[in-house]
Amino acid sequence: MPRIEDIGAFNNVRELGLAKLVPSVPRIAIGMGTCGRGNGAEGIYHAFAEMIERSGVDVYLTSVGCFGACHQEPLVNVRVPGNPLVMLRQVQANDAGRILHDLQAGNITHDLVYCKIEDWDHITTNIRYGHAYPEIPAWSDIPFFKGQRKIVLRNCGLINPDDIEEYIAVGGYQALYKALIDGRPEGILEQLKASKLRGRGGAGYLTGNKWEFLSKAKSDQKYIICNADEGDPGAYMNRNEIESDPHSLIEGMIIGGYVMGATEGIIYVRAEYPLAVHRLNRAIAQAREYGILGENILGRGFKFNLQLVEGAGAFVCGEETALIASLEGQAGRPRPRPPFPAQHGLWGKPSNINNVETWYNVAPIVLKGPAWFTETGSAKSSGTKVFSLVGKVRNTGLVEMPLGTPLKTFIYDIGEGGAVGRAIKSVQTGGPSGGCIPQEMFDTAVDYESLAQLGSIMGSGGMVVMDEDNCMVDVARYFIEFTNSESCGKCVPCRVGLNKSLRILNRITTGAGTTRHLDILDELSRYVRDCSLCGLGQTAPNPVLTMVRHFRQEFEDHIVSRRCQAGVCAELALSPCENSCPLHMNIPRFLQLYKENRLEEAFESIIMDNPLPCSTGRVCQHPCDKRCRRQTMDDSVNMREVHRYIADNILLSDKFEPMAERIAGRKLEPTGRKIAIVGAGPTGLTAAFYLALLGHDVTVYDHMPEAGGMLRFALPEYRLPKAVLRREIELIEHLGVKFVFNSRIGFDLPLNELDDRFDSVFIAIGTWKESWVYLPGTELKGVYPALPFLEQVSKKAPVQLGRRVAVIGGGNAAIDSARTALRAGSEVTVVYRRERKDMPAIEEETASAEEEGAKIMFLAAPHRIIGDAKGNVRAIEIEKTKLGEYDSSGRRKPVPTGEILRFECDSVILAVGETVDLDFAKASGLQIRDGGRIEVNRFSLETSRPKFFAGGDVVTGASNVSNAMAYGKQAARAIDEQLMDAKRWDNLFRTVEYEQRPPDCPSDSRRHKPHELSAQSRVGSEEEVVLGLTPEEALDEACRCLRCDVKVVSVR
Amino acid sequence: MAKKTISIRIDGELVNAVEGQSILEAARASNKTIPTLCFLEGLSSVGACRLCMVEVSGVDRMLPACTTPVQDGMSVTTTSPKLARYRRITIELLLVERNHVCAVCVSNGHCELQSMATSLGVTNVRFAYNYPKLPVDLSHPRFVLDHNRCILCTRCVRVCAELEGAHVWDLTNRGIHARIISDLNQKWGEAKSCTNCGKCVQACPTGALAEKGKAIEEMVKSTENISTIMRRRGVEA
Ligand code: SF4
Ligand code: SF4
Ligand code: FES
Repeated sequence: MPRIEDIGAFNNVRELGLAKLVPSVPRIAIGMGTCGRGNGAEGIYHAFAEMIERSGVDVYLTSVGCFGACHQEPLVNVRVPGNPLVMLRQVQANDAGRILHDLQAGNITHDLVYCKIEDWDHITTNIRYGHAYPEIPAWSDIPFFKGQRKIVLRNCGLINPDDIEEYIAVGGYQALYKALIDGRPEGILEQLKASKLRGRGGAGYLTGNKWEFLSKAKSDQKYIICNADEGDPGAYMNRNEIESDPHSLIEGMIIGGYVMGATEGIIYVRAEYPLAVHRLNRAIAQAREYGILGENILGRGFKFNLQLVEGAGAFVCGEETALIASLEGQAGRPRPRPPFPAQHGLWGKPSNINNVETWYNVAPIVLKGPAWFTETGSAKSSGTKVFSLVGKVRNTGLVEMPLGTPLKTFIYDIGEGGAVGRAIKSVQTGGPSGGCIPQEMFDTAVDYESLAQLGSIMGSGGMVVMDEDNCMVDVARYFIEFTNSESCGKCVPCRVGLNKSLRILNRITTGAGTTRHLDILDELSRYVRDCSLCGLGQTAPNPVLTMVRHFRQEFEDHIVSRRCQAGVCAELALSPCENSCPLHMNIPRFLQLYKENRLEEAFESIIMDNPLPCSTGRVCQHPCDKRCRRQTMDDSVNMREVHRYIADNILLSDKFEPMAERIAGRKLEPTGRKIAIVGAGPTGLTAAFYLALLGHDVTVYDHMPEAGGMLRFALPEYRLPKAVLRREIELIEHLGVKFVFNSRIGFDLPLNELDDRFDSVFIAIGTWKESWVYLPGTELKGVYPALPFLEQVSKKAPVQLGRRVAVIGGGNAAIDSARTALRAGSEVTVVYRRERKDMPAIEEETASAEEEGAKIMFLAAPHRIIGDAKGNVRAIEIEKTKLGEYDSSGRRKPVPTGEILRFECDSVILAVGETVDLDFAKASGLQIRDGGRIEVNRFSLETSRPKFFAGGDVVTGASNVSNAMAYGKQAARAIDEQLMDAKRWDNLFRTVEYEQRPPDCPSDSRRHKPHELSAQSRVGSEEEVVLGLTPEEALDEACRCLRCDVKVVSVR
Repeated sequence: MAKKTISIRIDGELVNAVEGQSILEAARASNKTIPTLCFLEGLSSVGACRLCMVEVSGVDRMLPACTTPVQDGMSVTTTSPKLARYRRITIELLLVERNHVCAVCVSNGHCELQSMATSLGVTNVRFAYNYPKLPVDLSHPRFVLDHNRCILCTRCVRVCAELEGAHVWDLTNRGIHARIISDLNQKWGEAKSCTNCGKCVQACPTGALAEKGKAIEEMVKSTENISTIMRRRGVEA
């Protein structure tokens, strides 16, 4: 190809390129970025090439860069002449045949379709592909692309990066041509300044000003440098930009050279990006060949040379003075500024350094003008920014958004929320130099200033999303480990300070932290930030500072209770299941003991961890399943059912008496201390069990006529038979616990009296007060709040339920009410305002309710209840809702649509939440927190009144049985420690010997489900529905456990 | 061409300074002390120890006095509770980084790190000691390099390169693993470029570089000559 020296030649090349971009034959383009290749794009390319050659069909096969949707790779785009470009996703090499076949027939392979592009705005030009295929969604209708504005990525994934002609076809090098013809570099500088473009490498310095410095510098030689040393973990936008569209970078730099009066340009790329290096080299060679680089560019007399230097990938070389040192062949260590590179840069000459992405914005600004550019983005941060959205979101990839877009748009709209249905906790922006932003602050706009205000930075655009499975202490540790190992070692704060921080974080994550460590960490981090020599050290503490600020509780959990909720810090957990269990039951131990045929010992292991094993075995939400490692093979171990099986076999059999004796035999010497527990629900019973074992004299008070709390009066018989619960309570009585019923705290039981008579008081009352919704018609006859309704039924008191019942709510109380109503012979409809996946009720229970005939209406909220003349319920009006914005719980808010449905019914049960009745606590010296809960110390459970402790629902609000029990356990330990001024807790537990080896071959059965009564036989009966496992199944289930608790295996 | 004289404020007091001077030079010229460790008069400044951090009004970050040039009208604060806290941390970190056991050190009583710790009131350290295992290079006939006592100030590197012109010393490795090396990571005794002049020993603020045969407390050093020669060179140039 001859050099381009005039506009005619330029246009010729353009025509040649267009013939390849929109050929008159079908075109197939394979996405061949590093991401596509990693997913097998090369194999696909070869499959097509071979097939085309074999069949001799007239199809134009080519490769393109990456279109950004990493989660859909490999992408292949196909086009029939005259029709839109269609993107196919997750293509396999063996799809090649049918794609080709379809294409020849003028068809699109429908099951692979992702989206179509009818016309594309390359900014520098428009390409019209054609209009057709109404059934295929346009690219901009795909959630992942909605709202994206591709300026930097204008050509990525659409043109062949190895072909300069295609670049010219989409308007490439036009801006350069225009600049050279106009011959007014000052004019371009003015445009750039007016565009308010800011450096995209992180610091956000105004590019126009930076260019002005260099253009004013007087020197025989000046350098312009492109910083492509992208080293943040999780960031890969620069790599993709270069791989997909190298010429845009070259064009930006030539214009830069022209404006700043430099004739030498250097691109510093990390050697870890071989494909980018390869494509850039090729692009530079092509540009030279076409007369766009070198002497007399485009025949306009300007000279500019471009050179590529590979850096060895030290993170610190992203810092400009270190980068210059590295270019000069020295070790990559920063030096103090001033002097700034614009005065004293490479080889002592004035130099300008800009990030890759900054250069990509140059050509569009030159061509379209600053006014066009500032239309996008926010007032102080104009234009767009490319982000790599990675981590725990469903859709990952490169996202180019206008600056100022709120974080939640990225995470919930583009990313479509949590990857596996887990709640998202935070997002880390700016990589190891950035900070962590908690979910509550996702309204924050993504621009330089807003992020800085939160202690984070935009950085080069990394966005790592984290969910509840990420431990923030560990994440902080990870980033410090990174910066510690990347520190150049020159200055003391960064070299020693980060190392010290890392050592402290290592201690915290292994359970050896102290509260003093937190203060030291904070002071040290500020010191490193304020005193370090270069940007690496100055920003390295950001992750720690923001995480300690926003997630202090997590740090405290690691330090004080030596717990890692996320289950990441291995030293702090026995096994994933133990860690997820609120009671921290040693699950692998009882499974193993049972496997060894040691039923009694297995039971003892269970009951010492969990004093209500039959009840929890039936109604626990079983969070233990959530992180069970067996899931990586098939499905989690059904631990709850095994522990129910073991517990039933002891407590509900003739083994009860001897076992009760055995447990009572563990009691420590009487201490003579008297403890009152208010509330005989799960929390109170658990505390009573342990406090009695610890040798204290325990009395439990309750306002009900019997013990058990919600378990007794809110849970229907068919889920938890009263006789089963009775047995568990008998065991606790056997330990010497006294019960006093029908006494309500504050009325029959004045607090001062408790104070006088007891050494400690533990308040563990439940959420018996119904929260009331404002709904017209709640005063009508036939409207019941759920809890009193369930309570009446459990007391066998008569309730007048009509034939048709509506239940409002989606929690366990709603489902229990629905199933109870079904058993009373009613027709039931449950009305819930969100979607099924948002329901707080246990999944299996919801499914059972449906099996039994309950109807569930999702996305519907009650509007009003309508009564007849006698004041009885006659009908209910329901307003349909639709999902709106994401709220702070990460779920989408239901918003009313105005569409009203009416259906006839005779009763309405309201299960919209419960609270604690705290009237007694007023003027009692107990501090109340907003939302009506008693304020306690998170770890000791002490209230503001000496001697008084509180735990369970009364401090958390309505929760579930295992969480409530965990509070009882924690309280028993804390109360004993305070009363006795000694750590006696561990004396309760005995060590047992059992096999400490993972099974050679765990059972390969799938998870066993418990047997159930059939749906027909259970409605209309009170009988227990879930029957449990058979002995064989229980054993087999125990044999499925992988024994994650065994950490060191001796090799035999 | 005579350099322009400007005036700046140091701790409130108006003093004269010469354009191109660092804050540290200006301060010392008017008899103000700012603690330093990596700075050695006459050698280039590298800003490595960060002990000389000062506050400059109107600048929201602290700045190192040794590498920040003075500007007309600048107002510098050299002591504040925050600066004192930070300087303390610097000394603490240097003390825990390697193995500084003063009681058995040749430089005990003549060590800049030790005297800096005393003058800054560092009587205890709040961080755990790292206790790294580091070698001692005894290969040179006249001198010793004990990595346990090195604070990586690079004064030896600079004096050797800038005054002696031999460039024996350099830094290797990154971060906490950074270490002083002679020639191409050879033993000092085998380093061909070493002229045995001993300037690095005199420049070293601690007992890391010392003369052989000196017992505990006997290694007295002087940096006076180095500074004088360099000062004279500056005038000649
Ligand atoms: S495999 Fe066993 S030890 Fe591991 S999480 Fe599952 S039940 Fe627990
Ligand atoms: S050997 Fe001495 S002069 Fe050289 S870096 Fe270490 S402490 Fe500084
Ligand atoms: S004396 Fe200024 S940084 Fe060391």
